[in-house]
Amino acid sequence: MKALVVYPNRELLYAASTLGGEVAALVFSEREAEAVKGVAHRALVAEVDPRLPDAVAEAVVKAAQSYQVVLLPSTKNGKTVGGLVAQRLGAEFLTDVLTLRVEGGVLKAERYVFGNKAVAAVEAAPPVVVTVAPGRFQGQPPAVQTTVEKVALQAGSKMKIVSVEEKARGAVKLEEAEIIVSVGRGFKKKEDLQMAFELARVLGGQVGCSRPIAADLKWLPEEHWVGLSGKKVKPKLYLAIGISGQPQHIAGILDSRIIAAINNDPSAPIFQNADYGVVEDLYKIVPILINKLSKTKG
Amino acid sequence: MKVAVLVKTALDTGQLRVRDTVATEETPLKISDIDRNAIEEAVKLKGQDKAYAVTVLKWGPLQKKAQEAENVLREALAMGLDEAYLVADERLLNASHVVTAKALAAVVKKVGADIVLAGEATVDNYTGQIPARVAAELGWPVVTYVRELRVEGGRLIARRDLEDHVEVVEVQLPAVVSVTREINQPRIPTLLAIRAAMKKPVNRLTLADLGVEVAPRIAAAYKPLVIQRKKVVIKDGTPEEKAEKLIQYLRQEGVI
Ligand SMILES: Cc1cc2nc3c(=O)[nH]c(=O)nc-3n(C[C@H](O)[C@H](O)[C@H](O)COP(=O)(O)OP(=O)(O)OC[C@H]3O[C@@H](n4cnc5c(N)ncnc54)[C@H](O)[C@@H]3O)c2cc1C
Repeated sequence: MKALVVYPNRELLYAASTLGGEVAALVFSEREAEAVKGVAHRALVAEVDPRLPDAVAEAVVKAAQSYQVVLLPSTKNGKTVGGLVAQRLGAEFLTDVLTLRVEGGVLKAERYVFGNKAVAAVEAAPPVVVTVAPGRFQGQPPAVQTTVEKVALQAGSKMKIVSVEEKARGAVKLEEAEIIVSVGRGFKKKEDLQMAFELARVLGGQVGCSRPIAADLKWLPEEHWVGLSGKKVKPKLYLAIGISGQPQHIAGILDSRIIAAINNDPSAPIFQNADYGVVEDLYKIVPILINKLSKTKG
Repeated sequence: MKVAVLVKTALDTGQLRVRDTVATEETPLKISDIDRNAIEEAVKLKGQDKAYAVTVLKWGPLQKKAQEAENVLREALAMGLDEAYLVADERLLNASHVVTAKALAAVVKKVGADIVLAGEATVDNYTGQIPARVAAELGWPVVTYVRELRVEGGRLIARRDLEDHVEVVEVQLPAVVSVTREINQPRIPTLLAIRAAMKKPVNRLTLADLGVEVAPRIAAAYKPLVIQRKKVVIKDGTPEEKAEKLIQYLRQEGVI
């Protein structure tokens, strides 16, 4: 199937190449066109502000006529563009797909649904719009010859960007962390999180948290937030402390190698989702863990 | 200001039973959580005007679920909306999102609104595509992932919560807006409000009433997500012994 990739990156271009047809990349400047040379058959340059979903959608609709699949990243603007484009093309829009293949002229994909309690196998006939869950398509797009063309556009955007504020960012990069010590509402006071930071330091890991800690209590900045609406992480060890293990939290940690949990409630759902669980009051066991681990680690 | 809220009568995934199969038919409906924030914002914005809820019933069996959807909409009414529209039609169960968006937009056109509010995504399918689709259908601007909004002389000023930054944007009304859970704290209706909601109108519509044509259905099959974890639980001994055991296990796994 011929695919048009919008906001192209390696992963999307690779996913597009597996569909077996021509791959075009829609980019927003000559510089970006340069970056896709050799990995897409065509680079289509639309000179629009990539931050304006309606302007980008306009360019996609214009360029999409000769393509059967439009691929986008699973970002917020990616999904907004996808929704606009899908409706205008009368197309199905499959978001956050985990797998993707063509069979009998139909696109087949899988995605998590129902608060990550189930996997849906969905299929749709072209044209189809798709966003790809990050980290699922690992491979290199094949080397090809690239032609560069311009997409002519007139329509502007109905949205004006007044200002942009960067979010507070610390040194936390949970997506890359090997060990994550994650905290939930089992912690009674903000100051108590110090224990988790200490444990993370001893283990050489980072601190993550459940939604209420970042969103409701605001004890930690949002960059620590793990889950469906937070970060998707894949450490070798995810240690959940005082986290109940609701499906929306689990959604963010499915790809962890080992999940360990500390919770004083033996029926907490986290134990069903963990490799090793300890039924214990975190206030009793975390200081012991810090003590023992710091001794052996020196 | 006249406000329409897109309220998804979603599957209550907390009550979804997954063993060998996924039992969607038996699963009750509930308001998609994030839509409560959209309702709350609508109640704040509407002033002297009216605010109404629109839903397209996507889950069957139709007879049973249409009644449940009505009850769900009563909750939205109890939170302060004035009227509800339920589009219930056999042909909409598992219909494509294209048709769902057309039906929602058709109700908005029929009833009229200065602003359409929705949650950023629904709790059952979590695709987040409907607000943009409805905007495309209406030909209105869409502002997604809004965590703060203000209306000033026919203009909407909003803070969009994106991955690494917050964007302050401006559009002319009418517009479609999707909100995040951070935008407000949804109210819990009082007993009095719940009683009053029983008297508010819930209008049932079919695709024929709206003049919407049906496109092909999307095919979807569900299977339980099987989580393969070791599920070793340490529950006996002193905290000291438990800590020791956990460390041992994690060492064996080579993760610490
Ligand atoms: C649309 C939507 C999206 C969401 N997205 C996310 C998301 O991205 N990430 C996320 O995390 N959540 C998300 N949620 C929220 C999620 O459903 C849960 O509410 C949340 O994960 C619960 O956080 P928690 O486990 O910290 O708190 P709780 O559920 O309150 O659990 C606290 C746990 O701590 C234990 N505990 C208490 N005291 C102690 C003690 N002394 N020692 C040991 N254990 C103790 C308790 O037994 C309990 O299990 C979302 C919800 C919705 C509806």
